[in-house]
Amino acid sequence: MAERTLAEQLGGPLPEGIEALPEEARLDLAAALRDARHRQAKALAKAGEDSLKYVPAVLRGAVRKAVGL
Amino acid sequence: MNPEILKLARVLDVEPERLGYLSDVDVADLQLFREQVTTTLFDANLVVLERMALASRLLPAPVVAKIAEKVFGPLLCARIAALVDVWRGVDVAKRLSPEFLASVAAELDPRRATAIITRIPLDTVVAVAKELTRRADWITLGRFVGHLPDPTVRRSLDLVGDAGLLRTAYVLDDKSRIDHVLGLLPEDRLPRLIRAAAADETLWEPALDVLAHLGKARRAAVVPLLGELPDGLRSRAQATIN
Repeated sequence: MAERTLAEQLGGPLPEGIEALPEEARLDLAAALRDARHRQAKALAKAGEDSLKYVPAVLRGAVRKAVGL
Repeated sequence: MNPEILKLARVLDVEPERLGYLSDVDVADLQLFREQVTTTLFDANLVVLERMALASRLLPAPVVAKIAEKVFGPLLCARIAALVDVWRGVDVAKRLSPEFLASVAAELDPRRATAIITRIPLDTVVAVAKELTRRADWITLGRFVGHLPDPTVRRSLDLVGDAGLLRTAYVLDDKSRIDHVLGLLPEDRLPRLIRAAAADETLWEPALDVLAHLGKARRAAVVPLLGELPDGLRSRAQATIN
């Protein structure tokens, strides 16, 4: 599947000055944004699991349910 | 380097040099683009973040604070801060170290967490400002100036040296605040800023930018000080304030 363009990731038109950049630059910005999103999603998934270690046992079930783990 | 490129690099977590191709892009377009990127990153994983914010309500504040520092780290805390109840967020923030809060502040979008930021005790904010000054993180200091109450801005900027204050003003998101913020500071601060710029060529651009955003009264106050400036800076300063 083709990777989403910068405008597709941002969900709207790019500011004029960004739209006017060479394609190579726009591709680099798209890659940087994609990487930032992936890093964030990965960190979230790990944090969800790891945080349970600090939750008192009696509350762990309720927290799991609330987080959807 | 253009402060807007530095701020965008911070949001994307990349080296600013990588974004060198943006150097000719209009500043307003860069600012708009950074806001789009910030919104996209904040809205990504929104459902999971909202669930986590909800789950945090089930736990005592000291436990949440411990999880925040040991597991979540600054980036995720910054994302969740905008989603938790205000008083809950303040209660947790009070339990976090200034060092950790400074790192959260660097990742936070102040527009989304204004309600919490403005309710954090003054001493805590001042401790965070001190830590940001130690890190020379002028971008983060500058992003918060527009969102903090005046007494907090005044106390925080007392801690920032003259060079740091010029660099902070240079990267402010809302430059129209510069004149107002200078009005909060002691009268001798403006002459000190001028002298600091005179002594350090790397402060010339920030100083000229500050001069360009002064109101009429403060511009007039600067005129008698121009004689203290080195030739190269004096002529540019004169052209800026006239």
